[in-house]
Amino acid sequence: MIAQPFEYHVPKTLAEASRLLAQFGSDGKILAGGHSLVPMMKLRLAAPKHLVDIGRIAELAYIREDGGKIQIGSMTTHYKIESSELLKGKCPLLPETAREIGDAQVRNKGTIGGSLAHSDPAADWPAAILALDAEIQASSPRGERWLPAQDFFVDLLTTALEPDEILTAIRVPELPERGGDAYLKLHQPASGFAIVGVAARVALDEKGSVHHVAVGVTGVASKAYRAAGVELSLRGKSPTAKRLEEAAAHAADGIEANGDLYASAEYRKHLANVYVRRALEKAVERGGGRA
Amino acid sequence: MKLEGAFTVAAPRSTVWENLMNPDVLARALPGCEKMEPNADGSYQAELRVGIGAIKGTYSGRVEILDPVPLEHYRMKVEGKGTGGFVRGEGTLTLSDSGPATAGASAPARTIISYRGDAHVGGLIASVGQRLLQGAAQKIVGQFFEAFAREVLSASQASGAAPASGPVAPSS
Amino acid sequence: MATAPLLGQRIKRKEDPRLIQGRAHYVDDIKLDGTLHMTFARSVYAHARLKSVDISAAQAAPGVVAVYTGQDIKGQLGFVPCAAGIEGLKVPDHPCLATEKVCYVGEPVAAVVARDRYVARDAADLVEVDYEPLPAVVDPEKALAPGATVIHPKLGNNMAFVATLDHGDWKALDADKSLKVIKQRLINQRLAPISMETRGAIASYSPGEDTLTVWSSTQIPHILKTQLAIMSGVDEARCRVIAPEVGGGFGSKLNVYGEEGVACFASKKLGKPVKWIEGRRENILGTIHGRDQINDVEVYVQPDGKVVGLKCRTIADLGAYHQLLTPAIPTFTALMILGCYNIPNVFVETTGVFTNKMATDAYRGAGRPEATYIIERAMDLVAQELNMDPADVRMKNYPAPKDFPLTLATGVTYDTANYPKTLKKVLKAAGYAKLRKEQERLRKKGKYLGIGLSTYVEICAMGPSSRMPAGGWEYGSVRIDPTGKVTVLSGTSPHGQGEETSFAQIVADGFGIPFDDVTVFHGDTFQVPMGIGTFGSRTTAVGGTAIYQAVEKLKKKMARIAAHKLGVKPSELRFSDSKIQTADAANSVSFGEIVGEAIFAKQLPPGIEPGLTEQCVFEPANFTFPFGAHVCVTEIDGDTGEVHLRNYFAVDDCGRILNPMLVDGQVHGGLAQGIGQALWEELVYDETGQVTTGTLMDYAIPRAHQFCWFDNEATETRTPVNPLGAKGIGEAGTIGSTPAVVNSVIDALQPFGVRHIDMPLKPEKIWRIIHAQRAGG
Repeated sequence: MIAQPFEYHVPKTLAEASRLLAQFGSDGKILAGGHSLVPMMKLRLAAPKHLVDIGRIAELAYIREDGGKIQIGSMTTHYKIESSELLKGKCPLLPETAREIGDAQVRNKGTIGGSLAHSDPAADWPAAILALDAEIQASSPRGERWLPAQDFFVDLLTTALEPDEILTAIRVPELPERGGDAYLKLHQPASGFAIVGVAARVALDEKGSVHHVAVGVTGVASKAYRAAGVELSLRGKSPTAKRLEEAAAHAADGIEANGDLYASAEYRKHLANVYVRRALEKAVERGGGRA
Repeated sequence: MKLEGAFTVAAPRSTVWENLMNPDVLARALPGCEKMEPNADGSYQAELRVGIGAIKGTYSGRVEILDPVPLEHYRMKVEGKGTGGFVRGEGTLTLSDSGPATAGASAPARTIISYRGDAHVGGLIASVGQRLLQGAAQKIVGQFFEAFAREVLSASQASGAAPASGPVAPSS
Repeated sequence: MATAPLLGQRIKRKEDPRLIQGRAHYVDDIKLDGTLHMTFARSVYAHARLKSVDISAAQAAPGVVAVYTGQDIKGQLGFVPCAAGIEGLKVPDHPCLATEKVCYVGEPVAAVVARDRYVARDAADLVEVDYEPLPAVVDPEKALAPGATVIHPKLGNNMAFVATLDHGDWKALDADKSLKVIKQRLINQRLAPISMETRGAIASYSPGEDTLTVWSSTQIPHILKTQLAIMSGVDEARCRVIAPEVGGGFGSKLNVYGEEGVACFASKKLGKPVKWIEGRRENILGTIHGRDQINDVEVYVQPDGKVVGLKCRTIADLGAYHQLLTPAIPTFTALMILGCYNIPNVFVETTGVFTNKMATDAYRGAGRPEATYIIERAMDLVAQELNMDPADVRMKNYPAPKDFPLTLATGVTYDTANYPKTLKKVLKAAGYAKLRKEQERLRKKGKYLGIGLSTYVEICAMGPSSRMPAGGWEYGSVRIDPTGKVTVLSGTSPHGQGEETSFAQIVADGFGIPFDDVTVFHGDTFQVPMGIGTFGSRTTAVGGTAIYQAVEKLKKKMARIAAHKLGVKPSELRFSDSKIQTADAANSVSFGEIVGEAIFAKQLPPGIEPGLTEQCVFEPANFTFPFGAHVCVTEIDGDTGEVHLRNYFAVDDCGRILNPMLVDGQVHGGLAQGIGQALWEELVYDETGQVTTGTLMDYAIPRAHQFCWFDNEATETRTPVNPLGAKGIGEAGTIGSTPAVVNSVIDALQPFGVRHIDMPLKPEKIWRIIHAQRAGG
């Protein structure tokens, strides 16, 4: 379990990191916590010649309120999110998701930006980021741009980031009034990754009907996705137990599910239905409705 | 690992067949193909740089087209080694006509390429990549057909606006 | 006696401070000047002919000192040894580096020696092997079929051995139409032992002295020394093996590995120390595996639940080559197949089969978990078939405590036991009757609670030498130095179980001196003259007894000296409070004073040799047979098939308990591994012989957070086999727990008419059963 030789670079600023990344081109790789990349390097599945460690750039690690939204620096560790009082109060889906990631060591070192940029098909964050309609900031010498979460995840381990871009921040909306969040997950017993992970945000109107619903699903397909069919069949409806179940049955509509040693594609699709239902029930309940 | 699927190419069967038999087209369509040269026995020597996200590997090996039945089907055999292990695969590509997307005799011809095969990986990838293997294989196959369709289209662009090519949705 | 005895107390482990603080020395912590580092290029094929192995690029890499292939070691380094003695056993040549062909994924093909481990690892990738793939033999049943590819053509076919144990009047049983015959196939999946410390070795050959010193992460330093001497051709007197701190092994280090042999070969060639540290991926591919049996079971049972016959046809997947005890492991299954029940008729046919996989060998329990799984699943099948309570079926078939020692139809003689007592105790702890009522209530609500029993007996304290290939005795010695400090040497080589503590308890209690005055050493063959090792739950029962008896010998000598000084009879003297005194304490002399008398030898009584050192080689008359009863309570998620562990109750009887904390530790770890097998663990080879669970991201070893609380209790039924009365506890948790979990899950699924599900009990398997029932109505 020894990686191939590589050079290690520790830029102090984002500008310096961008410069290094541009310099190394496809030989370079951003190290952002390293809990996905380093194991792959030790297995020699990945062999970047240059590692650019952005984990020491202080300006990239923060959680702050910003005009009704919360902005999180990409180098914020899972643990910082898990334990953030601000997030627990205003966007509890993120701490709840963070708690389900890996183990304590992974949460202490791994970062939200690193995980998102890696886009593992069974990682936890993509589900939550999708369910929150988060925006993702990409920075390069050409400037900054914000990408909607739905455009960010392109395919297996592939994102919309350009080769010279560094993921620098995530922006999420606060929990709305009469809103509820939930993240539920079935862990793969070896890796701790999601066999299925479902993040749901639901907001009810004054009459108790669903006026906002967003469901992100990870672990099932080659990338995390929004369960559009579920949302469609629930929007504007009263969230009765029966309706939630009917809606959840669309959790894997049109999805080509993964199968592996632990769970077949068929079973994953079934799990998606069950976990979507349960996540919706929980979110509705937390939003003050009764599932 | 079983690989199975179908892809529609907006071109008539004869065009698709010609392109499928053309090593230059295949070389351009194969993701990361850096070299594809004919061997004396009719097979091809290929070098591929496969990359998905941070995962990158280099493979070199043989590609062989067997039992071609023009306009109908052929078997493709691939053997490669590299990055801590090997890949071996064998499958059949079968052509069939696709009904036109919209009714009408003048609708341009579309061809469905169905593929069905078995791929074996050995060594490193087999023992550590299980979780991502199926997804990765599908992605590579998908990339191939997309690139292949582009090749076919760019060759026959003069024939006018073609309907979209794309994977055939899984029937479920 | 003024001081409370240490034996039986929860004494904290002497070894823990250095282990917890990271100040202990494992093989990789040992740094010798001029050390070279070795790594292996390993086969990526399950079965292939080696057309060529081109090492030129690896040799040319800067920093590489040498590259060896199978051709280089041929005739200069012996084969990997197998010590199992089974009649008619076929033993294939097992070279340390593949010579003509490779027979499993991970088989070493070339060894690269370099100035550091990074250079070595990079250069290993430069070894170009041209393979001619051969069909892989993966399924052991197909391996036996006519026309199957033969892995070792010289041996004729893939059958390594057939061993039959038959004691029964089957004609009479088959003629008795009142008997029910229940048949079931059980599959005991392949597992990886996954000790925290992987394997590793440093071999250091001194050309001038012609001495070979090997530090190895091993459970058997003395056996390893003998074998490495034979393999490497160095005179055994000049060979020394040291097992430094060993971070677990679970049986996987009860072995002699090819990599250790190559390290010796390379050091001898190069005249420098050569270090090899196994990586985790290599550990999963190339360290022995455990279990992997197919058991076709037939149970003959009377209508009242009395089991009168048990037949089992076992196919044991041995892998490609024999390691040290590979073929012996499944024969333990046959030996212990009757479990806690005195079933008069038994037939076991065990077929060992070569496949293109890593060898199986001893993994915690080593044959007995399979036996327990067979008999305990069988008992539940009987209960299900006859609609009886599983507890009642077991009670019905137990021998009475007065029946012991009891010789069973398998020919094994159990020492002592009280099976009804442990079962009653665990049922009480679990609140069994209440649980059954709760289960009924929940079933009406569509919820699935499972209550699983397992009562086991295991064979431990291995063992009499007549039954052990390399001898079953153990060595212990005790020496007292002028300062009164005691040095204990043990021929066993504990690898994390805590015997430095329990042995010190034995010695401190024996002499009546402070615990801290006793230091225990083991693992160095130059320090400890002879020994067998640590395995088969023998370390305390056999190794501890050797020490106990050495203490007794030394006490006799000291009592004679003290008696001479005090003018009393030696038999009047007791050892306590650091004194040697008469029972009434009227006459006493300090322990230290007698130590001085003995060592400085100024006024020794006639016929007494100076010095205080005694040794004992203890030969046990029999194995011991610890036993216990477990209850596992599970809840099944009907929508997903997930299994939730709700409660686990265990009552274990390991004979006399020397240190309850050590016993708890052994039981907890054992339960975790046994439950792990039932629910999660599975080493998978695909149909081409590739390992598809090659990392800990894929191979699911249990984690602490996956478990419920373990409610542990004990009973103490002492064994007469050794004077300590201790039986052994190292493997009990693993042996007892696996069937308890499976029985619990099957019990939960009774509303669906489930008879059996093979391990691991992944949620999808369970969901499919529930789903099919619900869909089918």
